[in-house]
Amino acid sequence: MNKKILIAFVLLALPAFGGSDSQWVLEQSSLTYHVSHPLHESEGVSHAARGKGVCHAGECDFLIAVAVKSFDSGDSNRDLHMVQVTRGAEFPIVTVRTRLPESAATSATVNADLEIQFAGQTAQYKQVPFKLETQGSKTHITGTIPATLSDFKIDPPSLLTIRVKNEMPVRVDMTWHPQ
Amino acid sequence: MLRKIFGNRDSGVPGLVFFVCLVVAFAPSLIAQTAGMGALTGRVADATGNAVANATVTVTSIDNGQIRSATTGTDGTYKFDGLPPGKYRLKVEAVGFKTLEIPSTTVRGTETAVVDEKLESGEPINEKPSAAQQDNLPNAPSSITTSSSATAPSLSDLGISPEQAQGNPREQALLDKRTHMLKIHQRMGLITTIPLIATVATSINAGGKNTSTASRDLHTALGAVTGDLYFMTAYYAIRAPRVPGTETRGPIRFHKAMAWIHGPGMILTPILGIMAFNEKNNGEKVHGIASAHGPVAIVTAGAFGAALLSVSVKF
Repeated sequence: MNKKILIAFVLLALPAFGGSDSQWVLEQSSLTYHVSHPLHESEGVSHAARGKGVCHAGECDFLIAVAVKSFDSGDSNRDLHMVQVTRGAEFPIVTVRTRLPESAATSATVNADLEIQFAGQTAQYKQVPFKLETQGSKTHITGTIPATLSDFKIDPPSLLTIRVKNEMPVRVDMTWHPQ
Repeated sequence: MLRKIFGNRDSGVPGLVFFVCLVVAFAPSLIAQTAGMGALTGRVADATGNAVANATVTVTSIDNGQIRSATTGTDGTYKFDGLPPGKYRLKVEAVGFKTLEIPSTTVRGTETAVVDEKLESGEPINEKPSAAQQDNLPNAPSSITTSSSATAPSLSDLGISPEQAQGNPREQALLDKRTHMLKIHQRMGLITTIPLIATVATSINAGGKNTSTASRDLHTALGAVTGDLYFMTAYYAIRAPRVPGTETRGPIRFHKAMAWIHGPGMILTPILGIMAFNEKNNGEKVHGIASAHGPVAIVTAGAFGAALLSVSVKF
């Protein structure tokens, strides 16, 4: 009898030793790219990103994906040109991957190594700073990814024969909650 | 191998499993090869023979471990030039398809092998670049710091199907053509502005009481050049392909609305101009409907300028 109780106890205790997995889900987001031209300062916003984080053994793997076509600059012509120049029909999804320690969720700031796939290219950005703010069970993350057009081999579009600047910072504003 | 793969289809899950035809053609390279170096080309296609774009093809030298990778283009083709002769391991990865690995193929300096493979599709792979790709990336760290683990989420975890992640080369070609034509439209519009301004400027000497025939001829010639350039400009906008399902929003709406003014104006202005020209040459005072030439031209030029500014300057 005692042996059975002992076995049952060991079996119940096993998951605790193995470490439990947890997940994060992207609740809402705003991703905003900014493009500069001598005559224009344009921004395109997407609220359509989807994201998930899977934590295991103290490390969390995050994946955020957003459709290129979901970015809205307020001008349908500019959006179509953006999709064309970024080859958004060929490569319709932008993905961002990062791995963070699970303990980062309680920090005020976090530096993330990002791997972004966009326009058929992959670029990595090291130690991108993000601010974290915990609101109840939710975590609000803000920051700016210092992306450039050349990182993704995007030919800078031009207006009146003047090209836009190479810099294309992307503002990130996301709210995550544990699942 | 084919039998083995097709065997999997028989035991596959209906509705979820579909098949990919991957044709890897190691055709003789069309590009000049350096002496002693080989080349490897091929095409990645799905079951229906359609090209699979954005597939990552990685070759690893079995002899020295050297890795190179390439991404298939819209036509599904990839190419490796300047490969040292030897044995290579080939891997093809594409979203929505199972990874294909060819354990060994030989690259020779003067000849290439032809290998056809068919592969079962499967769960989408994580869109991870190969190690070789990582090394060539901008801002690439010395080691892969964000490498996926077995628990890393995939696109399917986010509810994004392989179909949604799959590119549409036809749509991209349509967008490319549209942008190409609208670029010409934009440049032609800018060029048209020059004779347009000159035509308006010379109208002062063409329509007054003390005008000469030479002034009117110059004005007429500039007007004719403007008209020709204008209609060439309009052609590239009108013939640019439409993208289905796109709602016109923003300043481009105003730009298009202005075309309904300067378009008819560009037809009417020269007609009225010819009438006014004839009346002037006959020693008559411009009268009747011909006297509307000036006001119509001003409205037309104004609408043209407004259209140009609406997409150039942010208000």
